[in-house]
Amino acid sequence: MDEFINIGKRIPKMDAEQKATGSAIYIHDLKIPGMLYGKILYSSHPHAKILSIDTSKAERLPGVKAVLTGYQIPPIKFGFYKDNVPLKANKVCSLRDEIAAVAAIDPEIAEEALDLVKVEYEILPAVFDPEEAMKEGAPLIHEEHVGGKEKKPTNVLNLPWRLISGDVEEARKNSVCVAEDRFKVTWVAHCCLGTSGCVAQFDQKNNLTMYSITQIPSLAQRDYTDALAVMGLKDKKVRVIKTTIAGGFGSKLDTYAFEYIAILLAHKTRKPVKFLFTREEEFFATSPRQPAIIDIAQGCTKDGRLTFRDIRMTLDNGAYTSWGATTPSVMMMPISSLYKVPNVRYVARCVYTNNTYSQAMRGYGTPQATFAIDSQIDILAEMAGIDPLDFRLRNANTPGEVTPQNFKINTCGLKECIDAVAQKLDWRQNRGRKDGRGVGMASMIHVGGGARVYKSDGCGTIIKIDDFGTVNVITGATDMGQGSDTVIGQIVAEELGVRVEDVVVTHTDTDICPWDVGAHASRTTFVAGNSAIGAAKKVKQQLLEVAAHSMGESPENLDIRDRTIFSKKDPEKKSPLGKILRAAHYAAGGSMVMAEHFYDPSNENLDREFKGNLSVTYAYGTHGVEVEVDKETGQVKILKYIAAHDVGRAINPMLLEGQVYGGATMGIGYALTEKLVLQNGRVVNPNFLDYKLLTAKDVPNIETLVIETNDPFGPFGAKGIGEPGSVPTAPAIANAIYDAVGVRIKDLPITPEKILAGLKQKGK
Amino acid sequence: MKRTISFTLNGDPVQVEIEPHLTLLQLLRDKLELTGTKEGCSMGECGACTVLLDGKTINSCIFPAMEIEGKSVTTIEGLADAQGSLHPIQKAFIDYGAIQCGFCTPGMVLSAKAFLDENPKPTEEEIRNGIAGNLCRCTGYIQIVQAIKAASGQ
Amino acid sequence: MKKFDYLKPTTLDEVLSLLDQYGKKAALIAGGTDIVVMIKQKTMSPDVLISLQGIPGIDQIQYDGTLRIGPMVTHRAIEKSEMIRKEFSALSDAVDVLGSIQIRNVATIGGNICSAAPSADAVVPLLALGAHLKIRGPKSERRISIDQFFTGPGETVLAEGEILTEIEIPKPLVNTGSAYWKHQRRQALDLPILGVSVLLSLSKASVTCSDLLCTTSPISVVLHSLEEDELECKEIRIALGVAAPVPMRAKKAESLLRGKKISDELLEAVALTAAEEAQPRDSIRGEAWYRRDMIKVLVKRMAMKCMERVLRPEETVFPVRLW
Repeated sequence: MDEFINIGKRIPKMDAEQKATGSAIYIHDLKIPGMLYGKILYSSHPHAKILSIDTSKAERLPGVKAVLTGYQIPPIKFGFYKDNVPLKANKVCSLRDEIAAVAAIDPEIAEEALDLVKVEYEILPAVFDPEEAMKEGAPLIHEEHVGGKEKKPTNVLNLPWRLISGDVEEARKNSVCVAEDRFKVTWVAHCCLGTSGCVAQFDQKNNLTMYSITQIPSLAQRDYTDALAVMGLKDKKVRVIKTTIAGGFGSKLDTYAFEYIAILLAHKTRKPVKFLFTREEEFFATSPRQPAIIDIAQGCTKDGRLTFRDIRMTLDNGAYTSWGATTPSVMMMPISSLYKVPNVRYVARCVYTNNTYSQAMRGYGTPQATFAIDSQIDILAEMAGIDPLDFRLRNANTPGEVTPQNFKINTCGLKECIDAVAQKLDWRQNRGRKDGRGVGMASMIHVGGGARVYKSDGCGTIIKIDDFGTVNVITGATDMGQGSDTVIGQIVAEELGVRVEDVVVTHTDTDICPWDVGAHASRTTFVAGNSAIGAAKKVKQQLLEVAAHSMGESPENLDIRDRTIFSKKDPEKKSPLGKILRAAHYAAGGSMVMAEHFYDPSNENLDREFKGNLSVTYAYGTHGVEVEVDKETGQVKILKYIAAHDVGRAINPMLLEGQVYGGATMGIGYALTEKLVLQNGRVVNPNFLDYKLLTAKDVPNIETLVIETNDPFGPFGAKGIGEPGSVPTAPAIANAIYDAVGVRIKDLPITPEKILAGLKQKGK
Repeated sequence: MKRTISFTLNGDPVQVEIEPHLTLLQLLRDKLELTGTKEGCSMGECGACTVLLDGKTINSCIFPAMEIEGKSVTTIEGLADAQGSLHPIQKAFIDYGAIQCGFCTPGMVLSAKAFLDENPKPTEEEIRNGIAGNLCRCTGYIQIVQAIKAASGQ
Repeated sequence: MKKFDYLKPTTLDEVLSLLDQYGKKAALIAGGTDIVVMIKQKTMSPDVLISLQGIPGIDQIQYDGTLRIGPMVTHRAIEKSEMIRKEFSALSDAVDVLGSIQIRNVATIGGNICSAAPSADAVVPLLALGAHLKIRGPKSERRISIDQFFTGPGETVLAEGEILTEIEIPKPLVNTGSAYWKHQRRQALDLPILGVSVLLSLSKASVTCSDLLCTTSPISVVLHSLEEDELECKEIRIALGVAAPVPMRAKKAESLLRGKKISDELLEAVALTAAEEAQPRDSIRGEAWYRRDMIKVLVKRMAMKCMERVLRPEETVFPVRLW
C-alpha cells in the first residue's frame, strides 16, 4: 500500500505554470500609476573625502522630480555593524559608495541627471588587502572606529569570533602527522538572473508599502520601520509585499542602501519610486560571497584519527559591514563538527578595506571553510599513508554524537553518503593512478533543522478551509523559487488528508502572513513545515469534531484520507470533506474551520563561547568527482559528479534534486570558473561575458543520491537541503585533481593556468 | 522622429509607432506591455530576453525594433494555443522541475522550441548545445535538459 | 541608451551616399550584436545608424571552387553549410562555437571582420584560409588580402565611406585540411583566451598506418610511425587570435614547414616558432605566459587535426579528441 498520498511525490511547483507562460510578476514587471524611477550615482574613487556635491543642474533637468544627497537625509544607519548610511556625505570608502540619488519620470532621464551631478573629491590613500590593512600605518577606512584593548583606531572590527574546545597545543604535540596550509577563497557573485529592485510607496498618512524581493520579510519590515523612526515617522505602519523573486541564494537576506534611498525619495516626491539595478550595478553594487585567507592545521594519530583542527582566518570586510562579517559564526559549524575532531581552535578577524563588502551566500561561509578543511583531510591522509576514503570513514560523525560545539547530532547519514559516493566512483579501482584521471571526495555538514541565529527561529502558519474544500495556507515562509510553497502544500495536504491540488499557499504580504525569521539556513522545509503541520493538526481536529456531530461518531474514531472523512472502525461509514465543511459553516451558530500555529524549534542560541545546539538536526552529505586533466593545457573536465545527501526524508524528490543540481552547479563554478575580479577596488568584470557562469554545455551530469535517515524532529522526517548542495564541491574537485595529476591548488578558482603552473613546478 | 512599423506578433498583425532607437525588448515590455520576456543583462550575454523572429531565436535586448518590419515575432505569451492550452514544452518544463525562480524560463522555453522545431529528436549533447545561449542560475540545467528530452518524445 | 535615427536604404549606392552625407555622425549596422552593445556601453554614439539588412546581393554564399561569402551572411548560415564544413572546415569550427545560437542567428561575418576585435572568432580561420576582402568606396573598389586589413584592436584600413562587399576564399590545394580551436574557459557565450587556426596541405591523401590517428597515442608517437610515408607539407598557414594587437599569421613558423617533410621534431619547432612570433599580453581574460604556452600546444594539435581530416575524413570527430 502506498503509505503517503502527497509526501515523497514528484509534484510540480505550484507557480510553475505562471512562470512557464510568462505571467508571473517580478519586481521588473511591476508598474504603479505615477511611478518614478530612481538611479544612484556611485563614487569615482575607492577612498576619498567628499568636498562638495553640486546637484543644481541635475535638479533642473526636465523630468527630474527629486535629487538627494547625504547632506539632506536623516541619519539612518544600517548594516550588521551599523556603519553604513544610505548616501555618503563626508567620505567615500569604496567604489560602490552611494553619493547621490535621482527620481525622475523615466530611467533614461534619471541616468542623464546623474551625469549632471558634480562631485569634488580629495583623494585619500587606499588599501585593498586585508593583511596590509591590519598593519600599523595603514589608511583607516573609518577613522572613528577604535578597537582592541587600547581602544586605538584600527581597521580590525571588534567582533568576537573565537571558538576553543579542548587543548589544541597539547593535541598537536601528540599527533603523528600534522598538515599546515594556507588556503584562499575570493569573491563570487550570486548572479540571480533577475537583478535587484524595489518599489517604495507612501500613503496619505505616511504609512509605507515596500514592494520587495526580500527573503526575510518580517525582518525587512523591522529594518524599514526603524528607518521611518529616524525619518520622524515613528508610529507609521510598514507593509512588505513580495513580488515573484528572480533568485535569492542569500542575496536578499540584507536590506540594501538602495531600498532606504527608495523610501527617502518616495517620501520626498509623494510618488511611488522604483529602483531596478542594471546587470553592471548588480555585479559591483550588491554584496558578493565573503572571501577569506585561511591558515589551517590539522593532525592525526598513526591510524588516522583526527587529533586537532587549528584555524586562523583573515576576512576582507570591505568598506562597510554586512552579513559577510558574521560568516565565521557559521564557519564554526564545519570547523567543529565536520568529522570527529576532539580539539578545536578557531579565530577569525574581519578587516576593513576599500573593497566591496560581502553578505550571505548559499552556505554562508561553510563552502569557504569546507574547502580548506576537506582539502587538507586528503593532504593529511596522504601523510599518514591512508586512503582518503578510509580516513573519512574512520572519522565520520555518527548519530548521537555531541560535537565540540555542543551540537547534538541525532540522525546522521554521513557514513552512508561516503560509502554511496565511493561505490558510484568505483573508488578503489580508480584512485591513485596519477595518469590524468582521478577521483576525489569531500563532505559537508549544515544545519538541517532551523538555526537559532536570532532570539526566535520561529515561523507562523494560518490555515483556513472554505466551503469547497480549498485549503488556504498562509505562511510566513518565503518561496524564492526553491519550492517551499509546494513543499508546505504537500505537508499540509498529507497531514490534513486532502490533495496538494486542494491547497493554495500564500506567503507574500506582511499584512496577512504571520511572522517568520526568514528563508535562510536551509530552514524553511523544517521550520515552516513543522509550523504548517501544527496548524494542520489543529484544523484537522476541528474538522473531526464537526464531522463527529453529523456522522454520529466520536472524533477519536474518525480520520481523513484523500478528501474523505471516515470511521476508523468502519471505513465504509464516510463522508466527503466538502459536505462536512458546508454543514459546519451554514449551520445556525456556524463556525469557520481555521487555526494557526507558531512553531519555534527547540534549538539553542550559541552562548558567549559560541557553543550550543544551534539546530534541531543536522544535514550531512558527500560529493564525489571523477575528473580528467589535460596535462598540456591544464583544463579540467568533470567526467562524473555524484552528490549524496542525508535529507531526512525527501518530501518532493523532484524539487529536492533541483536544489542539489543547482547548488552543485553553483559550487562547481565556485571551484573552477567564477571570480569577481577587483583591481584597486574596482570590479573589472561586471558582466556575464567576463564573469564565467557555467552554461548548459559546461555542467556535467550530476547524479543525486538521496539518503533518508527519517529524522524524528523533521516534518515527515525531512531536513533542510537548500544550501548543502553547494558546500563540498570545491574540495571534492580539488582532491580529484590532485589524484589525477598530483597538483594541489589551494586557492579558488582552480584555473587551467594554476594547474599548468603547478605541473611545471612539479616537473622541476 | 517616430517611425511606424508593421509586423506579426504572436500570430496577430500589429502596427505601432516607435522611436527608431528602440530595441525589440523595449518595444515588447515597455510599449506593448508584454512582460513575459525578461531583461537579464541588456547586452546579449544571458538569453533571458530570447524571442523568436521568423522562428529563429534572437536576443531581443540588442535587436533593433526597426528590423522586425514585415517579420513575425513570437514571445512566451504566444506559445499556449488560442484556448490557452500549454505547449508541450511548457508542460514538460512544469512536470520535470525545470522551473525554479522562473526568470530564465521564457527565454529557455523559446530556445527549446526553436531548437526542437529544427531537430525533433536530439541527443542530450545536442540539447545542451541548443540552450547554451540561455543562462540559468537555479537549476544547473539538468532538469531543463530532461524536460526538453521528454518534450521531444524520447 | 543614446537615441539615434535608423535608416534602411535599399541599394548599395544608397548606403554609400548616406555614408557620404552623414560622415562621422553615422555608422553602419549589420546584425547589430556588436554595435548595439557598444552604443549601450557608450564606446560609440552615432546619431544615425545605416542598416545593411535590406541590401540585395551581399547575403549569399556562392561556391564555384572559390568560396564567395557576402558580408551580411550570418554565422548561423555558415554553420549550416555542409559544403563549408567539408571544404573549409576551419571556418565551420569557428562559427560552431561563436557566442550562442541567438547571437549567430543575427551576427554577420562582415560585422565580425569589421569590428576587428583581436579575438574575432571568424577572422582567424579566414586568415588561415587565405581570404581576400573586396571593398567598395564612393569612387572605387579594391581587393586586399585579409592579413593586410587590420591595423589595431578595433581598427581596419576601411576609410570613411567604404564598405566591405565580399569575402573571397580561394580553392585550397588538393589534400588540404583546415581546423580552428577556440581556447576558452566555458563552452559557449565566451571569448577566446587564444584562437589558433591551421591550414595544411599534404602531398598525399593516404598513409600506410592511418589507424594510429584513431588511437589516443601522443602526437609524437603517431608522427614517428608516419615517417616512412614521407608526408610532405605542400602548404601551411598558421593564424592566431588574441596573440597580438591584431589577428596574425605566424609566417616564420610557416616557412619552417612549407615544402618540407612532416616530422615530430619539425612540427615541434614550428609550434615553438609560432609562440615566439606572437606578442600575447596580459589581460583579465588571460596571461601572456599561458597564451604563449597554449600556442605551442595548440598549433601542433591543430596541425594534427588538419592531417586527420585529410587522411581519414570519414572518421573525423571534432572537437572531442584533441590529442
